[in-house]
Amino acid sequence: MRVGRAYRPADGSPRLLEVVHATRRELWTETVGELPPVYGERWSDAGGRKLRLFEPGRSKLAAAVAQGWSGDLPAPGERWLYLGAATGTTASHLADLLGVDGRLYAVERSVRPFARLLTLAERWPNLRPILADARDPTDYSSLVPPVDGLYADIAQPDQLDIVQRNAELFLRGEGSRFLLALKTASMGRHLSPPEHRRNAEASLREVAALAPSVSLEPFHKGHFMIGGRWGRSSSVPVRAGSTPTKPRVRHRGRRER
Amino acid sequence: MRPTLVVANGPAVFVTGGDGPRTSGPFLFAEDPSEAALRFESMGRAELPERLGPILREIPPTSRLLAVPPRLGRAISEWTGREVEAPTVQELRRGRSALPALDPEVERRFFLALGRLRLERALRAPEEVLITLAREEERVERSVGREARAAESFVVVPNSPAERHLPTWDRARQVLGELASELRRNLEDEARRLVPNLAAVVGPRTAARLVAAAGGVAPLARMPSARIQLLGSRRRPSPERGPRFGILYRADRVLDVPLGRRGAYARSLAALAAIAVRADASTHRLVSPGLVSRRDRRVEDLRRARP
Repeated sequence: MRVGRAYRPADGSPRLLEVVHATRRELWTETVGELPPVYGERWSDAGGRKLRLFEPGRSKLAAAVAQGWSGDLPAPGERWLYLGAATGTTASHLADLLGVDGRLYAVERSVRPFARLLTLAERWPNLRPILADARDPTDYSSLVPPVDGLYADIAQPDQLDIVQRNAELFLRGEGSRFLLALKTASMGRHLSPPEHRRNAEASLREVAALAPSVSLEPFHKGHFMIGGRWGRSSSVPVRAGSTPTKPRVRHRGRRER
Repeated sequence: MRPTLVVANGPAVFVTGGDGPRTSGPFLFAEDPSEAALRFESMGRAELPERLGPILREIPPTSRLLAVPPRLGRAISEWTGREVEAPTVQELRRGRSALPALDPEVERRFFLALGRLRLERALRAPEEVLITLAREEERVERSVGREARAAESFVVVPNSPAERHLPTWDRARQVLGELASELRRNLEDEARRLVPNLAAVVGPRTAARLVAAAGGVAPLARMPSARIQLLGSRRRPSPERGPRFGILYRADRVLDVPLGRRGAYARSLAALAAIAVRADASTHRLVSPGLVSRRDRRVEDLRRARP
């Protein structure tokens, strides 16, 4: 570990830390799992707290925070449902934010990514992987208890509908949180990304109170983070939100296999 | 009277509502997590926890009986002879919010066992076997090519330390070649079995790669032929000169077509492949003889009409 790196708690979650450099800001999550890192990310030891770098280029949740997301983030001890967990890159960080007393129920449909998610869950004590299709929530309604929050990253044309049906079945009630990484490219090219965003917000406003959504560009093209609190009578507490980080997009290179 | 809800929740079953004590349970499917996962997945009459019986018998006949998931309802109906309904979303929400938390370690081990069980079942499907083989075969084929090229350009002075490992390397290349041909044989057999029509039209190996790229036979069958034509291509389609081939470049008879006409052949072949895979996915009729003769006729036409 380099000496003198100044970690300080980031706005929004006690398990999210930041290091502010002259021109950019790094995000770190305090890990609940065992090292070595999950997908080759940098890690560090800050006075006994094991941290993993939370990179906006790799994770839409990190990109949202970097872009000044002012809505709720997962809090320690909560139960969350994650739709579309894939190999568990973002899921591992979300589980970090929930802490060991929290639970993350991670749903993934594809077989090969799920195999990696399962290996991850073996050393991530609060992660509960489920091989199922998020389109059919009754299929796992006997596995997931009522949850405090819902995170969805499902690149499907009907992603809004999937989120709504899952929210109705699993969210604890009025005021429960949800985050949706909206991928507009999956919803057709007949509308531009901002138009898709407006439509999505309009339809979600009928069932929830929304925090100001943020664009995830340049980290994730055509993506937006939309979220807030479920229930029409809910209200979204105002948090200052941080100033957007100066983007530093890393080329991910070709992934192996 | 409040309805009684019998609900499976991970490794255990709970009974809640009705007039009795607020919630009874947990009744574990089994102590051992793998056994519990197996029972959770089948959840027939025989798999239900024995201790559930007395509780079910105590439920007065006047109380509505609800159960989740549906297969639990069927098993209870068989056990008690009573009618079991599915709860509404509201009833389910209310019932589940009353459930006590399970022991975290029991829950965790159950989820891992269930994940392993579902993964294993999913991977055993013939389609997934084909996809696995196709991915492996492609990877091994690539390394065979890489090693062969490396061997060609390898120069070394005799009796130098760099020469000493050559026999081992030769052996490794030979074994790698054996692995490749074994994989290829397996792959082709599987493809001919699973997608016979497609395998006949584009060749079994290309057929397998198409299925792997689409993620299954059904997704491939839903694709338009233009999509099948470009499946696996690296460049982007564009108004200018876009790609003409993806995986289909390695299909049968592509090399028999003159260079300038291969794009035209790709379109025709993709159209025939689309018909073939739809037959494989839905009707299971043998349509390949007709398609193959159309393909061969097209090859002849393209060879003759050389511009």
